[in-house]
Amino acid sequence: MYGKLEIFQIAQGLAQHASARQSAVATNVANADSPGYRARDIAPFAEVFDTGNTASSLRKTRAGHFEASGTSDTRFQTIDRPGPSSPNGNTVSLETEMMKAVEVRHDHEMALSVYQTSLGILRTSLGRGR
Amino acid sequence: MNDLFQTLAASASGMKAQATRLRHVSENIANADTPGYRRKMTDFQQVIEGGRATGLVETGQVQLDRRELPKVYDPSHPMADEFGNYDGSNVDLVMEIADAREAQRSYEANLKMFDQARQMSTRLLELLRR
Repeated sequence: MYGKLEIFQIAQGLAQHASARQSAVATNVANADSPGYRARDIAPFAEVFDTGNTASSLRKTRAGHFEASGTSDTRFQTIDRPGPSSPNGNTVSLETEMMKAVEVRHDHEMALSVYQTSLGILRTSLGRGR
Repeated sequence: MNDLFQTLAASASGMKAQATRLRHVSENIANADTPGYRRKMTDFQQVIEGGRATGLVETGQVQLDRRELPKVYDPSHPMADEFGNYDGSNVDLVMEIADAREAQRSYEANLKMFDQARQMSTRLLELLRR
């Protein structure tokens, strides 16, 4: 039932997107000194959510069926983020990564707050209160 | 949740690699006056598993600095040649300090990412509590 409510879906998607992006940011930071490493990023949530919504029209009636837009691993593509590279070919900028990390944290907080509030509304409408 | 655990693994590997680098720096500084000592250099590389980059980082083989060893004039030294010179070490203290500082900053960046991922997962689990 909760999966069908769109606001829960969006909040869940945003939280998943935030954690996937956090993973990309941490990988970049860990490889900040690896020669030849190219910084990566995850496609913005607005694009991902739109495509995920329209393209996922395949119905699954059995466990073995294919999924149109899979779970978090396949849905969020990593993109190569171009930027100036240091002499050893590394394109990670720690400052940019810090900024992205703050954005990620903000997105994640927002998703969880929306989820929690919606859950509260649902509970209230069921007459249980919070 | 899986992405967050992957984040923790990537940050931890980054911290380990930077700690190894700091160890090599301290070995260099300790041996700054050892005759014939060549400076150790640390390089980083991505961990490849099954032909795919995992996003983790590790330190590669230790390489020795190939610069020429400086000649130190000290006729009373046991290792001095017929001209009274012996080979010193090619450690440059200024370079080592700069390297150590960079390792420290990168370590802090990784630690910050680790902490953020931990907080995000804690926050996620808090949803279940009420």
